[in-house]
Amino acid sequence: MADWLRGSAVYRSIVRHGTADTNRNRSLVIFENLFLHVHPVKVREKTLRFSHTYWLGGVTLVSSLVLIATGILLMFYYHPSVPQAYRDMKELNYVVDNGLFLRNLHRWAAHLMVFGAFLHMLRVFYHRAYRPPRQFNWVVGIILLILTLFLSYTGYLLPWDQLAFWGVSVGTNMAKEAPLVGEGIRFLLLGGNVVSENALLRFYVLHCVVLPVALLLFLSVHIWRIRKDGGVQGPPSDVDDPRPEESA
Amino acid sequence: MSPSPELHVVESTDPLAVPRRVALVRPDTRPTVRRGDERYVMTFPHLIVREVILFQAVVIALSLAAIVFDAPLEGIANPIETPNPAKAPWYFLGLQELLHYFPPIVAGVLLPGLVVLLLAVIPYARINLTAGPLWASGGKRTALALAAVTAALFALFAVFGCWPIAVPTLLTAAAMFAARGGARGGRLRRALAQVTLPEWIMTWFVVIATLLTVIGTFFRGPGWAFVWPWSGAI
Amino acid sequence: MPLRRLFAISSVLFLLVLAISPAKNALRSYRSLQRQYRKLASSRAHSLKSAQGYEARPVAIQQIWLRDFENRVDRCTTCHLGVADPLMAGAPRPFDLHPGTPHTPGGFDRFGCTSCHGGQGLATTQPDAHGSSVDAGPPMTPPVFIEAGCGRCHLSDSVAGAPVLSRGRALIARAGCYACHAVRGQDAFRSEAPPLATLPLKTGGAWVKRWLKDPKSVDPNATMPNFHLTDQAIDELSHFLFAAQVPKELAGRIEAAAAEPPGSSANGKKLVSESRCITCHTVEGKGKGSAPELSKIASTASRGWLLAFLREPQAFNPRTAMPRYHFSETESRDVVAFLEDEFRDFDAPKDILEPLRVNQSLAENGRKLFRLYGCFSCHDPAGSGSEKFGPELDGIGDKRAQSLDFGRRTDLVRALPAWLAAKLESPRSFADGLKMPSYGFNADDSRAVTTALLALGAQGVPDRYRYAPPQKPALLPGGPVGSLIQSYRCLSCHQIGDRGADVSTAPLTYEGSKVKRDWLVDYLVLSYTLRPILEERMPVLRMPREDATQLADALESFYVDPSILADPFAGRPASDADPAEGQRLYVGLGCRGCHILGSSGGYYGPPLTEAGKRLKPGWTYAWLKGPQRWRADVRCPDYGLSDTDALRLAAYLETLVPVAPSAKPEKAARGVR
Repeated sequence: MADWLRGSAVYRSIVRHGTADTNRNRSLVIFENLFLHVHPVKVREKTLRFSHTYWLGGVTLVSSLVLIATGILLMFYYHPSVPQAYRDMKELNYVVDNGLFLRNLHRWAAHLMVFGAFLHMLRVFYHRAYRPPRQFNWVVGIILLILTLFLSYTGYLLPWDQLAFWGVSVGTNMAKEAPLVGEGIRFLLLGGNVVSENALLRFYVLHCVVLPVALLLFLSVHIWRIRKDGGVQGPPSDVDDPRPEESA
Repeated sequence: MSPSPELHVVESTDPLAVPRRVALVRPDTRPTVRRGDERYVMTFPHLIVREVILFQAVVIALSLAAIVFDAPLEGIANPIETPNPAKAPWYFLGLQELLHYFPPIVAGVLLPGLVVLLLAVIPYARINLTAGPLWASGGKRTALALAAVTAALFALFAVFGCWPIAVPTLLTAAAMFAARGGARGGRLRRALAQVTLPEWIMTWFVVIATLLTVIGTFFRGPGWAFVWPWSGAI
Repeated sequence: MPLRRLFAISSVLFLLVLAISPAKNALRSYRSLQRQYRKLASSRAHSLKSAQGYEARPVAIQQIWLRDFENRVDRCTTCHLGVADPLMAGAPRPFDLHPGTPHTPGGFDRFGCTSCHGGQGLATTQPDAHGSSVDAGPPMTPPVFIEAGCGRCHLSDSVAGAPVLSRGRALIARAGCYACHAVRGQDAFRSEAPPLATLPLKTGGAWVKRWLKDPKSVDPNATMPNFHLTDQAIDELSHFLFAAQVPKELAGRIEAAAAEPPGSSANGKKLVSESRCITCHTVEGKGKGSAPELSKIASTASRGWLLAFLREPQAFNPRTAMPRYHFSETESRDVVAFLEDEFRDFDAPKDILEPLRVNQSLAENGRKLFRLYGCFSCHDPAGSGSEKFGPELDGIGDKRAQSLDFGRRTDLVRALPAWLAAKLESPRSFADGLKMPSYGFNADDSRAVTTALLALGAQGVPDRYRYAPPQKPALLPGGPVGSLIQSYRCLSCHQIGDRGADVSTAPLTYEGSKVKRDWLVDYLVLSYTLRPILEERMPVLRMPREDATQLADALESFYVDPSILADPFAGRPASDADPAEGQRLYVGLGCRGCHILGSSGGYYGPPLTEAGKRLKPGWTYAWLKGPQRWRADVRCPDYGLSDTDALRLAAYLETLVPVAPSAKPEKAARGVR
């Protein structure tokens, strides 16, 4: 049955190579696939070692995928208006099938993404993986971290409960303190002088359109540069690490 | 075919006539060129399978969390009813804790701005690329400078009463001094002796950020007064 | 290869974990409840067809959508499936029929469930719906306070069918809560507490100290709460009160009265009983009224003060409910002589009425205490400014438990009703330095007051559902008639428009359209009991005939209702409307069950023997067309009479005039001076 399926013309038209049981076909798996061809056909064995990255970048990336998937589903049930936004939270809890599970998943994945991004940054720093040629990728990473924080923060307002309202009020009051532009930025962000329905709409658009698009853009750059710079381990270590512990 | 004419090797010292390869070596790399002796494996299946497992593991963990713990949802937003304390999301609680000690413009704008800026320029600061272990040169001057900076920072934070920063500053400095001459000590001291200055600074920052966030999240009650997490006032 | 095994395990786990949530979803408790209900209902059904109907009902969330209540959605009926189904009477919870109330079963679609019961209507799980879980909204109102739900829409003081709520509202007004706490619609509230200016000439230091220690132990009718003052504070406050400057004019009256010769106690006794003092005052706890207990009055107030007060109560307390009786000088001396003889506290120390010798520094401390405890809120409202002394009570029924300060009371359930009940019971137990006094409510009172407080909030109730009795214009005239109404304190018992107390069953708003002027004059001069079964009776005010005439004329010309026809017979003689047929109706409808006519009839309604002399036919007609229009809680049935029948009855009553022109002419004449 499986053989028949694999032999069929339709399957052959989609997956052009045969079973991935030879190195040739294994190579084809990678470079005939839009999504996998970000990988090289062969990777250094070192890359696979868990303790080298703790897969922290991967965890962050997977969280963001989970967030996109659950976020799109949640958008089907959400109205960025007062008081319907809060009512929608209740509907998710009580009426929508698996609604609470979706919301929980989105919430915890968001926390994991922020946390993972922080840890990923620290790991990169202590491994000095920001050294040339990857300096700019570090900066992209910092931008991604800030985007992640903003995504999480804008999402924080959307349930329109007390926690959301006052959390955002406290945060935007901090922004007000910036000299000269502070008041202006706050007004622009909130669409008014206080957290209101306008703020909810703006945060919604930022959370669901502007910031995710920016995140995906920078994420593509980030990942593409990793590949260009020799994978997660950086360029092949044709250089001795200056630190004796690692060369030892 | 006529035999080819005999070739003569003429050595010339004129660099214009005989070009040579010249390598310009930046101080942060070394001129040794060596073929890597690393082993390579096929990406599929070795890496791809691991990636799929990672994906599944993260989703499993998140799903279990989502089944066991419900996302918080309080009453509908009410601009009249201010909760006490009103707290920002956890990742901003470190900042909110800073607000308790410093004027808003410092805590809310200057410090976070400075942190982001410093993080962004890390790969462009030479010290991050060249620095060796802090005490590599034995360093009487290093010790003096470190003592002076520590004293100044401690005094600054102590003036504002910001003990969650002042105390870790002292502790970090103590650890840094403990690393001095650690190359001949036990395993821990030997490891400490390898730490570079940027790493010390980052560690200092991480400890402070964690401490402030933890205090802001768990130890602050009504009126941002210090409470114990088990007192139920949060 | 371990990697392969890992991959296999994680793949299986992955699928399993993702299946948990849908499985949980399929097992939600309302689904099994609905299946149980189907079985139960079809087993109770009377016909095969209806049983099949129950069986065919799909398992689905049920909800009541209330557009008017800010789009409220109540899903209670998802589990409480039988609330509107008579078949389910006596079924086990949650399937049982809702007990009958004025709004059930007709009002489910209009009011839903949460507008009365509270709780979270959106929820489909029991803990969240009933409000015991953390994230839920306000929890359900406990059943003992259920009438709080009535009070969120019904704003009048007295709500028919909600006795606990009505009682709570009355208690709140009587306890004077509104003096310190702002509540919308009660801005004009003034406590009846007396101004304290004449206190030094009224009573003695020992009495004041007793009173301040615990007012209710001195007079069970006392409205003043217990402030739990220390002996030192009591001492300081007493000195402050005796340091007050008595207004010269009043001091003169009291001193002059004290110098008058004693009166006749025997005549005083007769006067007290004739004047029906016990309609309002109690004597040794007997009586339904709530005015000060009389049995120890002579050990409370000096003779001079009593005499001067009796002659013109309103000069001493402009807010008193006590009317002015027109006793002659001698008569008032007789009344006070009787009080002095009979109503004395024989156990009281001799010096109970000795004035206190004022110590200025103690008095100064007392002055601060007087402000600190907000005494001015009741005793000197003018001196308090516009700001109320206590926190606002409006909206307290909507407060969330999280925003309440439980202070030291860690023993309490974290819920609003428990908090309110504890605040009423021992208000100082929450923290040090609190000032609210305790009112000594018993369990029933406390429950009633808590119910009324819970009703002070109306989140989500649309304005047009909030029923306040129509604001009748308060026709309080100025000039001589106004001061007569003031002086006789008509409003202490009668309502005019939305003003006045609801003690008498006869509001004065349309009295001019109701009774005949000549009867009214006679009645005012010498009132008699119209409704023998009521304990509250019109006191004999000894009103001079000229005052009575003036009042009756004013009622006749101003207090009329344009919807009551002056002449329902449209110019023709009443006899044209066939009074004989009216008499037949009177018998046929069973009016005599409640009304006395001649020598027989029931005691519930007013006697109709002299109806033709007392009542105007237009009123009789208007009343018969719908008694409940005039008084919501009246028991006179609305027979739905046709115009002709109502006219016939009115004509019949019009013929009921006494044979003798006046029952007791010699007594009525006494009012003329």
